[in-house]
Amino acid sequence: MKRLISGNEATFLGARKAGASFYAGYPITPSNEIMEYAAKYAAGHKDFRFLQMEDEIASAVAIIGGSLAGAKSFTATSGPGFSLMQESVGLAYMMSVPTVFIDVQRVGPSTGMPTYPAQGDILQASHGSHGDYQALVLAPNSVEECYRYAVESFNLAEEAQSPVIFLTDGFVGHLEEVIDPDQIEVSAPAKRLREPLGTGCRHFTGLLADKNGIPRTADSKLYQDWYWSRKKQILTAAEKYKFFEYVPNKKSDTLLISFGISSRLCAELQKDCGYFRPIRLYPILENELKAAAKDYKKIVVVEANDGQYAGEIERVLKREVRRIALLGGEIKLTPILKRLESISVK
Amino acid sequence: MAEAKDLIKQERMPTLWCAGCGIGIIFHQLAGVMAAAGLNSKNATVVSGIGCTGRMAGYFKMDSLHTTHGRALPVAEAIAAYRPDLKVVVASGDGDLTSIGGNHLLHTSRRDANVTVVLVNNEIYGMTGGQSAPTTRPGSITLTTPVGSEANPINIQGIITSNRRHFYARSTVFHVPHLKKCLAEALAWPGFALVDIKSDCPERWGKMNKVKSPAEMILAYKQQFKINPKPVGLLADGEIGIVKRG
Ligand SMILES: Cc1ncc(C[n+]2csc(CCOP(=O)(O)OP(=O)(O)O)c2C)c(N)n1
Ligand SMILES: [Mg+2]
Repeated sequence: MKRLISGNEATFLGARKAGASFYAGYPITPSNEIMEYAAKYAAGHKDFRFLQMEDEIASAVAIIGGSLAGAKSFTATSGPGFSLMQESVGLAYMMSVPTVFIDVQRVGPSTGMPTYPAQGDILQASHGSHGDYQALVLAPNSVEECYRYAVESFNLAEEAQSPVIFLTDGFVGHLEEVIDPDQIEVSAPAKRLREPLGTGCRHFTGLLADKNGIPRTADSKLYQDWYWSRKKQILTAAEKYKFFEYVPNKKSDTLLISFGISSRLCAELQKDCGYFRPIRLYPILENELKAAAKDYKKIVVVEANDGQYAGEIERVLKREVRRIALLGGEIKLTPILKRLESISVK
Repeated sequence: MAEAKDLIKQERMPTLWCAGCGIGIIFHQLAGVMAAAGLNSKNATVVSGIGCTGRMAGYFKMDSLHTTHGRALPVAEAIAAYRPDLKVVVASGDGDLTSIGGNHLLHTSRRDANVTVVLVNNEIYGMTGGQSAPTTRPGSITLTTPVGSEANPINIQGIITSNRRHFYARSTVFHVPHLKKCLAEALAWPGFALVDIKSDCPERWGKMNKVKSPAEMILAYKQQFKINPKPVGLLADGEIGIVKRG
């Protein structure tokens, strides 16, 4: 049935649609509603387990336990909590445990502006844990997309056997739009690839280990083999998840690149500029970005942070990228227009 | 009846633990008690944190997890919550469970998660070379307390028994029959049960505190601890036994 649904509720509904059956979390604005929906749902459904943990460190490792126990598992948090989860993101990567971490971003650093939206966790989402790893990050920009791409996040986690970061923000999370989830066509839930605990003699460890789970902590060659094959596994799985939106503008010499809540503003400028919106932020859509960018003289990235993704795009395109930073939770068109004027786009 | 060797990965022997270390004694006894209780790869799993003791999970012949430092308990609680058909055993060190994982110990026990915890209490951070832990006794020399530790040791019994329902057992690697009894009762306990086992670390603690041999350290437990078969209230400092309330 059509009704007003918030981004956070749609995210939870998407998780359910994907077959998620284990949630562990710790309250933090602006992600709370996801946890509350999970608690409510668990109260009425024996096959769905909900745990309120003592902190985000516990929540993050709990979903690793839940996933190995047999449940598609997820947690939701915001910047401060996401920082506490970083060690576990690496553990899930090293142990190959499918998990979904939802980060409803708010203005940081630190406690910052708890109720104001931001997109300041881009690099935390991609490089927040220590060591080298290939992050998987999806960023929706509407209530419908919260639903749709929550499903895809769980599917991608299963296919890549890896953590997926679902990056929304306080604006998208609390935004209410009219949707009918039953009418939204989404991918079928992915199959689980690994038998649950209690079926074998496997050892799951965060250490470098051989195929039998035996720690091999002084074998550089094994590390190198493991590293490249794990990366390849992730990139191969991500092939099917190249989500983006591109609206060319042949009359303009400027390409606007934006994602999440900022892209809702940039979409208004499609008559003046080309518009590229990555939904899969990581792995970066290198080929798609390059193909779009070559038709424009100027590349402008608009995001609610001080150029985190712009720096990534500059690295990929190897050319100058201009930045429009929407800071302090001010997600408004006026500052974008002003900046565009000063770089003589309009 | 199944015995310890049925639950131990023989191909991984010898373990990485030092000669004379108490962890091996505890591992062997735990495997034996688990086997006797009918636990195996179809109905049980072992979860460890990080440290010398953290390596224990990997030697069990069943699905096992070696998590991050301090995080065995929330992982175990999640598994127990989703899979009531599995017996979830946590085996980890004193630093892991009471320091970096101390907050989880407070809350997993408070929520009475259905988890059996085997706490190998060598009163030191073994794996990192012998720094002081929350369990280190006053006066002990460690790498980070070169003139003797002054701080109060953590009161594990106090933490566990502050919960209305609780199971706390204390034993040592000298008192093996008693240790077995504690482990067996803990495994049979419905809910959170913790066995706090005094275990010698001859290489780190022993060498810094002028103990001549592992045997001397283990025999010292004979002097230091007496079994209290029926404690009224809590165990006194030199007592070992089981304190429980259903
Ligand atoms: C987050 C983190 N901090 C520190 C360490 C380093 N570290 C590894 S084991 C350990 C102490 C282990 O002591 P304990 O839990 O008592 O186990 P034992 O080695 O004595 O059995 C420490 C501090 C780590 N691995 N991870
Ligand atoms: Mg120790």
